[in-house]
Amino acid sequence: MDLISQGVVSGVLVGGLYALMSLGLSLSWGALKIINLAHFSFILLSAYFVYQLTLSYQIDPLVTMVLVVPLFFGIGALMQVFFHMVKVDEFKSLIITFGIFIILQSLIRTIWSADFRRIGSELNPYATESIHIGAVAFPVSQLVAFAAAVLIAVGMSLLLSRTYFGKAVRAVAQDREMARAFGVDPRRVAVILSGLTTCFSALAGLFVAVGQTIFPGLAVSWFGIVFSVVILGGLGNTVGTLTAGVIVGVASNTAAVTWGPLSAPLVTFLILIAALLFRPEGLLTRRSVA
Amino acid sequence: MTGSRLRTLIGFGAVALTLGFFPALQEALDLPRFLVIFLFTTMFWVSQASSWNILTGFAGYFSFGQGAWYGIGVYTVSVLVGKHGWPFVAALPFAGLAAGAAGLLLGVVVFRLRRLSGEIFALTTLAVAFVLAAVARLSPAIDGGTGIFMTGTPIPEFLGDFSTAMYRLTLVFALLTVLAAYLIHDSRLGWGLFAIRDDEQVADGLGVPVFRYKMAALGANAFFAGLMGGVWSLQLGFVTVDDVFNIRVPLFVILMSVLGGMSHWMGPVLGAVIITTLSDRLNSAGLADVSQIIIGALLVVLALAVREGVYLRMRDRWVTTAAIFFGVLALVTVLDINSSLISDFAYAIVATTVAMLVPSGVWERVRAARGGNGRGGPPDILAEDLTEANT
Repeated sequence: MDLISQGVVSGVLVGGLYALMSLGLSLSWGALKIINLAHFSFILLSAYFVYQLTLSYQIDPLVTMVLVVPLFFGIGALMQVFFHMVKVDEFKSLIITFGIFIILQSLIRTIWSADFRRIGSELNPYATESIHIGAVAFPVSQLVAFAAAVLIAVGMSLLLSRTYFGKAVRAVAQDREMARAFGVDPRRVAVILSGLTTCFSALAGLFVAVGQTIFPGLAVSWFGIVFSVVILGGLGNTVGTLTAGVIVGVASNTAAVTWGPLSAPLVTFLILIAALLFRPEGLLTRRSVA
Repeated sequence: MTGSRLRTLIGFGAVALTLGFFPALQEALDLPRFLVIFLFTTMFWVSQASSWNILTGFAGYFSFGQGAWYGIGVYTVSVLVGKHGWPFVAALPFAGLAAGAAGLLLGVVVFRLRRLSGEIFALTTLAVAFVLAAVARLSPAIDGGTGIFMTGTPIPEFLGDFSTAMYRLTLVFALLTVLAAYLIHDSRLGWGLFAIRDDEQVADGLGVPVFRYKMAALGANAFFAGLMGGVWSLQLGFVTVDDVFNIRVPLFVILMSVLGGMSHWMGPVLGAVIITTLSDRLNSAGLADVSQIIIGALLVVLALAVREGVYLRMRDRWVTTAAIFFGVLALVTVLDINSSLISDFAYAIVATTVAMLVPSGVWERVRAARGGNGRGGPPDILAEDLTEANT
């Protein structure tokens, strides 16, 4: 019984990280109509940056945020400027960002080699610490990641529904030309939003670097999970993505605890297929921007 | 049988015969043995790209699933031969059948849904490969993370030594795949698939059996990819999950077909020849690390710049193509820049491809500047307009 409850708790917490990894992809797909496969390598690249900065300057890994997050905002904004220059549709974006994904993956492999890397425990107090409630352990790194995911998901949802910028984003997502006619600059909105989405990926990378061992093949292993979360959550729906992340995390973790590790990817895939069959528009669609 | 079909089939037979006798020729002329290995690698990719194109190029459903079908083929043969002691040749058909069945299974799930858009289909196929990888890695009956040794697998004697056997097997299956792609391209099924690609709802309304045709395309794609995967398990020698289910196969088939052109069955064949040559030369020049970066960048550029692929352009400008190809080939041979035969061809291929990648507008202007009366050139009025615009 303890094993199951521990499995559920870890599932909820790791679900927060899944949601954080999926938020960027979901928003850029839902609002910008760009299926950005490069997000997977952004997450990994950010993880390696965090690893390198922590090691080179002997600082707390969470402090690297002040450098990494603005840097990735810039990368995301620049990428959107490029997409505007060449005018891509959803389909082309898939091929182009796949190319970018390949380039970044080989760069990572060239710079950091295929070795397993981990921030040493003397620099990383978050990796080993956990808070115990009863027999259930809450690892600190996952708690922080979960809190960040909740903050970003709720914050983005409020931003999209309450602010002028959010209204502009939704207007652009619905009808670009009409938004322009009402005085919204679709280009600027898209560039800022793209920067924000890569920031979320950068944060996800930070928590990946803090919580686990990193290696180049990691990015590829996220595809199944992130894609399931994005579809289940509904495109551009941030709270839905958070919910979906938790569902996928709990389901795959509980399955792994009860039926062995083989069942986790299968359960994830079954959730994806079920989502495609029964709720292709996502679990909570009311707030969706698209 | 129409004249053009007869011509194509004669050309097909000629290529098959030439390639069939190549290993004997190589021994007789004492050419480097590496040429045989290079050619069977090329034929592997020709088959993979052509089979991928049956679904994606003809029916317009973009698939990242090539790695999954290929991987099922590799693992079917590896498990049957490496773990259960089956003879290689007996296991081979099951590679194609298992992959084909998996393809049809996915097809039943995803094509029954009207709402499944192209993008979602693409990402679903992407997820399939990673789920299969995870299953193979965790299941002891398949791999269990230990890998399977295929080295020392007995090959029937009539196939010859290892590289000759690989050559013959890949040749037969590559020819079969390309022949299938050609026959589909010029058949009722092919026209139906093209109609689906252009507008699925209209095709459905006009009476194209949309579901059946898409299933046929996906099944054919998976079957041929799996079959060639089964052959390739020998070449891998030591089969591991990371080697089989990585991004390389889907990446290369996409790149080859986009480069060659996805609307014609010859496009992927040509693209496969170009990319295999290029990547082989980059690797042998010690640029293996850079080659993936170059290939990624190439994919970005091609997706943006080339709509119809180089094959159709080469066919339209075949005189220019032949001139550049043989000109560069003669030049490097005479100058003796590089003693290797493949390198000479690589220079010629790259020069021709780059020339064909020049945007159409530039070609029109060149033609217009020459007077605009050349074969297949633009009408005179347009040529004058362009000349005026330039001055």
